[in-house]
Amino acid sequence: MKLVEESGLWRLGPAAAEVPLVAVLEVDGAVLAWTVDEEAAQISLTDPAGADWLWRILGESGHSMVAAAAGQPPQSGAETDLSGVDVLPGALDALRRLALGHWLRRWWPASVRDGIAGLDAALLDAEIALLTAQADDFVGEDSLDADIGTLLAPHAAALTMHLLVGDPRVVDLVARCVRLATDVGVQAPGWAELADAVEERASGSVASSHQDDYALAAGSDGGPATTGSIARGVTSMAWSGVPGGVFDAAEDTVRWAVIAVGDRVSAVLHIPVIGPGSSDGVPVELRCGSYTAAGSLDDAGRAKIDLVDRTSQPVSVATAWDQDWSATAVVVGVRTTETAEARDRVRRFARLRLTNPGPDAYLAEILAAEADY
Amino acid sequence: MSAGSDTVAAVGISQPRRAVIDRAWRALGPGVEILSGDDGGPLRRTVKRILDPLVLRLRSNPAFSAPFVDADVAAQMADAIADHADRLRACAAWFELMKLERRRLRITAGNAQDLYFPVCFELAVTSGAPGADRGQRAAAALRAVHDDRDRTGVEVLNEHVASPQVLTRLSAQLHRSWADVHADDSIIGPFLAGLTTVLGPAEGHRAGVARQRVWSALIADATPHNLGARARTQPSVLPWSILDLGLTAALPLAVPPISGGTDRDRPLDRSVVDRVRATLRRALDRDELPDVPLLCAEEVDRACAPWGFLGEDKQAALVAGIEVAGELAPLGQSAATRYLLAATIQARLRKEAYVLHARRALAGTAPLHPRQRQVIEDLANFARPYLSRLWARLHGRDVWQEPCDDVDDLRALLEGVARSVSLDHRQRIKAMLEVQVSQ
Repeated sequence: MKLVEESGLWRLGPAAAEVPLVAVLEVDGAVLAWTVDEEAAQISLTDPAGADWLWRILGESGHSMVAAAAGQPPQSGAETDLSGVDVLPGALDALRRLALGHWLRRWWPASVRDGIAGLDAALLDAEIALLTAQADDFVGEDSLDADIGTLLAPHAAALTMHLLVGDPRVVDLVARCVRLATDVGVQAPGWAELADAVEERASGSVASSHQDDYALAAGSDGGPATTGSIARGVTSMAWSGVPGGVFDAAEDTVRWAVIAVGDRVSAVLHIPVIGPGSSDGVPVELRCGSYTAAGSLDDAGRAKIDLVDRTSQPVSVATAWDQDWSATAVVVGVRTTETAEARDRVRRFARLRLTNPGPDAYLAEILAAEADY
Repeated sequence: MSAGSDTVAAVGISQPRRAVIDRAWRALGPGVEILSGDDGGPLRRTVKRILDPLVLRLRSNPAFSAPFVDADVAAQMADAIADHADRLRACAAWFELMKLERRRLRITAGNAQDLYFPVCFELAVTSGAPGADRGQRAAAALRAVHDDRDRTGVEVLNEHVASPQVLTRLSAQLHRSWADVHADDSIIGPFLAGLTTVLGPAEGHRAGVARQRVWSALIADATPHNLGARARTQPSVLPWSILDLGLTAALPLAVPPISGGTDRDRPLDRSVVDRVRATLRRALDRDELPDVPLLCAEEVDRACAPWGFLGEDKQAALVAGIEVAGELAPLGQSAATRYLLAATIQARLRKEAYVLHARRALAGTAPLHPRQRQVIEDLANFARPYLSRLWARLHGRDVWQEPCDDVDDLRALLEGVARSVSLDHRQRIKAMLEVQVSQ
């Protein structure tokens, strides 16, 4: 293995991909990263002395060699060959799974159009919490990913519902989660009641019911208003420029139109939202030549914004009709360099996980796959 | 390759301490499962709360705390753990009981391992394995842990400062002590030059010793004292603005009030009573409850000392922290250049900010939602929260007379404060987004 300098830190292993293709985990003294559809781990040592678990994944002599070589901060461009040092087979599997779990929470490409079902947030977080507790040797108290309490806190109501539905795999997960919550001290609303429900269930007094909460709230299909339409089109948005869990993750979801209403010219935008998050306040900008319309979406993923020229003056209807709108660009959220190819690769990866769940599949994924049939 | 060859050779025959502990723990055999992880090794908190402080007793056996130990030390560590086998099994049995009792009483406050591990070990030492009165003992221990311990000290403080005579006395002492502090006219250049060594690289043993010598000399230097004193008379001669750095809200620094004020007060503006209250809150982990009238009188003198610390090592540490703080910007692209330690911390902070980006909580270094803007602006102003927290840590050390004279300890402190401020900020950035998502 090579130890190389990257942005002032020592790094082991190959460089991982950019978002949205990277799954990361913050552990004691290091940030681990994987390209989601590849195996090799990137280990960035933020505090080599704090990474007291390295022997578990590199063996004791490997740990010694890394500690000796990374004892001083790297010079720019530094590179050291540590021959014979390698990750022990399987040693990072549990951590990779945990990193993937965090990635699933944020980047899973749920889409009505693409037919990629959403993942149940409560079950996903519940399983991540349990895996975090098991990764106790790596995830210390003062790292971002150690906070089991915050992960579990909001989900008491959802987990209680799941308990009523009664899928045995889910019931087992919820019961283990309740024990964990008791031990780590989760005091959020509903947890005491959930603990009671788990206990009652264990004593066999609950009748099973059924519910199906998998239907995604599909955005209505009505595009932007067409009256007085001067130009219209569709385009795609970058995932990494907007919060997760808000928009349909398909391509070509951003519908825009330039319309005349009376003597004003406006840009109308509509992007299908699938929740659970709200699109309210997410900035949008339509630009063509010297004309711009910048504003923000409402909670239905819509916006109607007056178009202005370079001097912030309104655009007249006659000028708008004369303009060639074929170069119109729309940015939703923050401008990024994310590519459509990267998003496609994520969708392929997601579909593969659904159709062919491996040993590292989360229960939320398995249930989403089952709900598809 | 940067490490000296002597280091590599020494490391070659040594073992990671956690691996040594792990092996010794597994050799204990059955009876300690509840203190172990799924793979049979000790839980992190078993190491942190039981093995390190109570079995290996790192304070009296510093050799046991090295990240790598040689075969001799490893054998001693293994012996220490094996010698405690019965106690550890008894401790595990007590923990099992305390957990049952916790569930029975529906207690959800705090982390069970953090709270009960030391108590269980104490029970194992004083009473051995649980006996016939096990249930009662466990219930009593649980009550003792969850009794509101912090009220007592703060209540005593409130009663104490409710007396007008006490206030008059403290106030007279405050003005007398404040007037006692003067700066001499020495120059600050040599001190700042020394910091370059203290906060710089040290490869090998000899350089480490030299660095320690420089830090000891800087503690004895009058510069931190003088800078603190000048902040009251001539703040413009300081090399930085402690107003911009958020250590005070007004210059020149004025004598702090005895009581009153709010939580939002800048560190050097906080009232004497607030400082004592912070001490009492932090004293929770300690067995002895400090004598409140004495604490108040001492805090008056401390509040009057330069930078609010009696110890010259704390004064020097704060000045070192101010120098480091100026180079930290988690969302900035620039690398710190003046001090290697600051560059290392800065590289780490940027990586930590990147984790948020990879988790779709930041767009690069920009907010992903307008709601996050305020928190991100706070993060851009990293020096303020950094120095505020460093000041609080140093204040705690000053009160408990814990030294800051070891250069490695100083550097660990400057790093640790950055880590905890960054963690706080990142949790807020993430939370702002989750609020948005849950609506």
